[in-house]
Amino acid sequence: MKKLKLPIYIILLILGATGLHAQQKRTINIIGGARSFISTNQIKVMDSIPDTTTVKKNNGGYALIDLGVDITPNKSVEILGMFRIKNYYGGFWGSGVSFDVRQLWLKGIVGNVFRYQLGDLNLKQTPFTLYNHHADRIDSLPDVFNLQNQIISYEKFYIGNTWRQQGANIDFGLNFSKVLKELNFTGYLTRMQATNFFTVPDRLMGGATVNVVQGRHISFGYNGFWAFDVKGTAPDSNTYHNSVNTIELEYTTNLKNIGFEVKAEAGTSKSVYSQDVDASLLKDYFIHGYATIRLPKQYLDFTLGYLNVGPDFRSIGAQSKDINYSAAPEYYNRYTNAQIPRPLSVFDVVRNENIYNTSVTSTLMATNPVYNNVLPYGIATFNTQGILAKINYKFPKGIAVNAEQYFLSEIRGQGTNSLKKFSQTKLLAQIEINKLANFSRELKIQIGANYQITSRKSDVTVEEVDLKSLQFQAGVEFEFIKKIDLLLGIVGLSNKGNDFLPVRNSYSKIEYFNSANYDLSQYLSAAGIRVRFLSDRIYLCALYQRSTYTDKINVNPDYQLDQFCAYF
Amino acid sequence: MKKIFYIALALISLWSCRKETVTFDGPSIKEMYSNFSMLENFKSSKDSVSFANGEYILFTAKFNKMVNWKITVTGQTSHAKKEITGLTNAIDGSNGLWDGSTTYFPMFKAENCRAELTIEGVPDTFIVTTKIKSVKVNTGLVIADFENGFNPLWTKFIQSGANMDFKIKTDTLAPQGDDYLNMAGTVDWDWLIGLIDYPAAAYGSGKTMPLPTNPGNVYFNCLIYGVPNTNESHVLFQFKEDENADGTITASSDDQYDLEVIVNWVGWKLVTVKYADLPCLNNGQPVTPNGNGQHNPDKIGKISMLHLADPKNGFASCKIDYLIFTDTPLKP
Repeated sequence: MKKLKLPIYIILLILGATGLHAQQKRTINIIGGARSFISTNQIKVMDSIPDTTTVKKNNGGYALIDLGVDITPNKSVEILGMFRIKNYYGGFWGSGVSFDVRQLWLKGIVGNVFRYQLGDLNLKQTPFTLYNHHADRIDSLPDVFNLQNQIISYEKFYIGNTWRQQGANIDFGLNFSKVLKELNFTGYLTRMQATNFFTVPDRLMGGATVNVVQGRHISFGYNGFWAFDVKGTAPDSNTYHNSVNTIELEYTTNLKNIGFEVKAEAGTSKSVYSQDVDASLLKDYFIHGYATIRLPKQYLDFTLGYLNVGPDFRSIGAQSKDINYSAAPEYYNRYTNAQIPRPLSVFDVVRNENIYNTSVTSTLMATNPVYNNVLPYGIATFNTQGILAKINYKFPKGIAVNAEQYFLSEIRGQGTNSLKKFSQTKLLAQIEINKLANFSRELKIQIGANYQITSRKSDVTVEEVDLKSLQFQAGVEFEFIKKIDLLLGIVGLSNKGNDFLPVRNSYSKIEYFNSANYDLSQYLSAAGIRVRFLSDRIYLCALYQRSTYTDKINVNPDYQLDQFCAYF
Repeated sequence: MKKIFYIALALISLWSCRKETVTFDGPSIKEMYSNFSMLENFKSSKDSVSFANGEYILFTAKFNKMVNWKITVTGQTSHAKKEITGLTNAIDGSNGLWDGSTTYFPMFKAENCRAELTIEGVPDTFIVTTKIKSVKVNTGLVIADFENGFNPLWTKFIQSGANMDFKIKTDTLAPQGDDYLNMAGTVDWDWLIGLIDYPAAAYGSGKTMPLPTNPGNVYFNCLIYGVPNTNESHVLFQFKEDENADGTITASSDDQYDLEVIVNWVGWKLVTVKYADLPCLNNGQPVTPNGNGQHNPDKIGKISMLHLADPKNGFASCKIDYLIFTDTPLKP
């Protein structure tokens, strides 16, 4: 009961504040959202020895409310505090209830020039400085999965490509009448790791972006990113430092209704530990540039680009992964009679928020070739060079097609002088039949595929690599009764071949290569009904989904997960 | 269009600047995943060695790939063992030196030795032989190695319990030399089974032990044997300082530092502790010492060695040998 007292006091406080809101117009707003989820799950294990240990059925769910108070004491200051009450079904009298602060920030403007924000920040710079690439997430997910995937973004504060940090941020802009048009500055300083007063020092992360708009066509800028330990905050004086400095250039113009855009970024990085400089120092550079031709009358864009990211380029802000493959999944984290860890499946990648990170991590995270073997750290993947081509077609009456092709290779060999070559072919299409056929109820079809090839030819047979991965998705959304949608979808992923997985030390240098062989196929299929209420953001959705994991080499026993769930 | 051309030119120029100086990252896959072969045979640098003269033996070998290897040197008389391990593609001066030290007791004697090289995943064993002409000498102040019996200046007290045995034994179990002290008995009314006092006078330097002043450079070492299937023994060392060097240790005004070893293992084990790290104990709990509160190894007037056991448990037994002060942790 004690646990419930605090939420009650807060609610009373909010009710009081709402009264204040009535007296002083536009000073306090109550904002928030709520969600309820209930599921029943079942696992079927296809092991050579029948699994009599794992509990096969699992039921559960929760209800939560995020309630925020947005206070604007004057026109220059805004304060937001948001708390969350979450109650797991089956928890009574406070035993299953948690109460957390979810967001807390203050922002304002000084002298109508400097904007500032303190507390929680959603930060992003460029793809090589601070950027959440979501490298392994499946593009253009069918809506039946996307609504589950959006919960991950909400829970982990992913707003596009931002990372959630805590600290301070300032920005300001200057306009000029001659030579330059405008200059914009953004700077931030955040605490990414708190000291444990023993071995872990305080680690701060800072960055600055200066962007100059020269005129109608040209803009250029500088981006700096720094992560560093604060000496003296822990007895262990081996401090870490990572810096990235880049310059950007953008040129846009129009010639006879044809748009041209050239954008390039290049820079350097340095990563080092103070007490072991020789072993830990990594310095390198990158170049990324592309040119786009836009044909608005034909609804077409063509892009051709070049990417070169050095083998020793390290940028923790851009090379942190959102998925932690070492994390335990939400359901059935162990299976079989031996209770071995269950390998993650597409089911987990699509809808399991437990395996996703909120913030930047300072050590190089592990990659998983099953989900992305070409650009596991997005375009900031080190030791990569090659070209890319993209075609986008967007017909206003409901057809959108995106195709892209990467031809890449390593710059420096891994365990051999022979270089790996990578190819990625991606095709995504969305057809809104209702717009084409002019009827009011939504009927949308989504299809997509991503085919990746990793290969290494060598005179020494044992060094050869040949791994092919095909990921495809298809989905239908049909509003068969007004505000009631039928949702169908399937995601498939298959991997076949071999690769060598590097084992890295704490300085991210390779110490060993594990030989990995794959003959794996996974399917996630789902069907559901969604009832939308006042707006599209308020809905009740009931889903049935099945996930199968088939490993023909039998590194891990096969399994099937079935889930019936309802979201509100 | 000119601007686009210049930008493209700049990018291509930058691209062409990259010069790779490192051949490849990580160990060679070819080496790691190819069949094992010996490029240079397993060899010993000497047929015979005098460790007492500071000599050493260098083992060498070369392989075609990185492997987990282990050299086990076994004394043919003492059955002492020395293990040297590594994960490399060569055994050389950086990882294959043997200075006569021991991994598994007893210590080596002047004897013939057989060195076996085993490699993980390789069924063959590679063998060389060598002879120890004189054993490794450990420099330091030996408090007791029991090779010459009881020093008449030592004093001992042994309870009158059952099956009491506080005698020096001479047999193949001796980890150093030929002798060790056996401490055993049943005392069902007291924790103390027996004790030996080692006074400074037994070491020829008067009222305090001839040790350095810096407690950070003084290590106390001993070898203790845990007897299988016997009740747990405690060995308590009391380092009693005579701070004013008057020849009398006054408990109320002189420091005493303690080392309590709970013998919960089987076989011989080396116990090493830096004198500066020793606490002052009262009934096993750290307390403030009664003297100047500073560790002064050069003022140790007496060391008491007590064999203790829980009286409720009954018979307890352990063995001890080679009590020695050194300036670095003992490498026996």
